[in-house]
Parts: sequence; structure tokens; C-alpha cells
Amino acid sequence: MPTIRVPSALRTFTKGASDVEITATTVRDALTELERLHPGIGARLMTDGVVKPFIRIYVGADDIGDLGGLDAKVSERDEISIIPAIAGGAGA
Amino acid sequence: MITRATIVGAGGLGGPISYALARAHIELTIVDPDVVELSNLHRQIQFTAGDVGTAKATRLASSVVARGGTARGLVTRWTAARADEISGDVDLIIDASDDPETKFAVADWAVANGRLYVIAAALRYGGNVMAGAPGVACYRCLFEEPSEVPSCSEVGVLGPVVGAIGGVAAAIALGLVQGARTYAGALLAFDDLRTVAEPRVVRYAPRPGCPACMRAPISPLAAPPVRVAESS
Repeated sequence: MPTIRVPSALRTFTKGASDVEITATTVRDALTELERLHPGIGARLMTDGVVKPFIRIYVGADDIGDLGGLDAKVSERDEISIIPAIAGGAGA
Repeated sequence: MITRATIVGAGGLGGPISYALARAHIELTIVDPDVVELSNLHRQIQFTAGDVGTAKATRLASSVVARGGTARGLVTRWTAARADEISGDVDLIIDASDDPETKFAVADWAVANGRLYVIAAALRYGGNVMAGAPGVACYRCLFEEPSEVPSCSEVGVLGPVVGAIGGVAAAIALGLVQGARTYAGALLAFDDLRTVAEPRVVRYAPRPGCPACMRAPISPLAAPPVRVAESS
């Protein structure tokens, strides 16, 4: 099954799990399944079905923007990575 | 030749970055509006309990000077409106702040002024470091615009993680200053430093229509020069 790599910042939604195996044939299906398994995480990734501008999603080494967006196909061995902008480091 | 740098943020990232760059004889301007709080001390190891209540920027700058470096601290927020005044003479600017708006402002200013820059961030067990240089895809090409990204106050950060991310940011910054472009236009994403030390290196193309790149003096969006074959 394809695996979604959940970034550290969003693992509060996955009970700490870094990798979530899902059944899906496209990135869109994968994210829908991720939200079904871990409610709330989807709202951190997308708005009205569109990936938020500060989130990048990769299948393997490729940005989904180069693969057809959310309709990009995923296969059994694919790893889907979520790369968010983060901002921590200095504050109180 | 003297190299000058602005460090935006004197906290967990700004501390190790400042020490490392100062030891490489880079003159620093350290900018931060905040004061040291007790809750900072687990990850901002440049400060002690005796520093609580003092301004981070000047306290860190004093500490850098005490170690033989050259630094000044500015107790203010780095903003686009004051960027030329604060950073007009620098070769390099590093964002070590915890504010998304500031990260984009730093990157945009650096791109518009043809400066080297590094954007660093740490959260929970990991972090990101992005390296920028004239002519390559920029921070805004990757993340487009600031938004409600998670913060340390929401999800926390492991103390040593900021030191590790700060060290990487400093090393990459020194590489940029020395002419290395290995990571220029790439993001190094450290997912969980407790278990995996290797970053995922995210490389990306310039985003068509990126407003920052369109204003850059050396834009990655510019069409390559047309080569005209010479007739013999």
C-alpha cells in the first residue's frame, strides 16, 4: 500500500505516527483516506479541495504539481511526503 | 574583505547561528524585539536565568562580542519597511524568527536586492532550512504565502533540535558566502532528528508568476539569452 509520511508538526493528528499506510490510487484519494483515518488533519492540508499554499506534497522525489496535481497516480510502493512551511525557532 | 550578515531572531536558532558565523569572522547585526523569558531557557542555551527580562538581541550580541566576534544587537522587529535601514549593507541575511510573515519578508527582500539568504525553522522534533541566492527559485516559489503554520507555542519543540537546525543553517550560510551553490534554491527538511539525521532535500523549480522572482534583479524566471548562430 502507498505510505503517507506525516511531518512531525502534524503528528498530533496521527497519535504520533510518522507513516500511515493507506489504500489509494491517487493523491486525492490518499489524502481523503488520511482524513478518514485521522480526522482533522485534512483541514490542515487543504481548503475547499485545494492544497494550501504553504503545504507541498511529493510522490517520491516529485512535486505533485509536476505529476498532475491531486490526481497524480500513486502505486503500491509510493511514498507520499507532506512538506509544510514551519515557523518555530525564536519565540517565547 | 569583510562579510556582513543580519540575523533575524535571537532565539533558539539565532543563538547557534550567531556564534558560528561570528567565529567565521562575519560581522553580525542581530535583530529581535523580545526579552528573555524563563520558558525560553531549555532551547535558547545562549541565555541563563540571570538574563531573564533582558533584551535578547543585545544580550546575544554582547555574548558574541565576549567570544571575540563582532556584533550589534537591535531591539526591534525586522520588517520590510526598515529592511534597507537595518540590512542595507549586508551580504547575507538569515531568518531565524518564529513568524511566517517575517520569513517571507526576509526572503522577498533578499531576492529583490540580490542577497544571499537562509530561512530556518524548527518545530517539535524537526525543522526546515532553505538556502537562497540570486537566480534560483525562492522561498515564495515553494510556499507561496504565509499562513497559519504551526508554532512552537502550539506543538512545542525539543530543545536540542533548534541547536541542530541552527548548526545546519549556519553551515549552509557559510557555504553560500564562500560561493557554494549546492543547496541554493533547495529546502532541507529534517523530519524527526530523534530517529533520522539525514534531511530530505526538496528541490523545486521557479514558480511561474512568482511575484518575488519577477522583481529580482537576477530572476530565475528570465528567459535564457537567445543564442544566434554565427554564419561562417
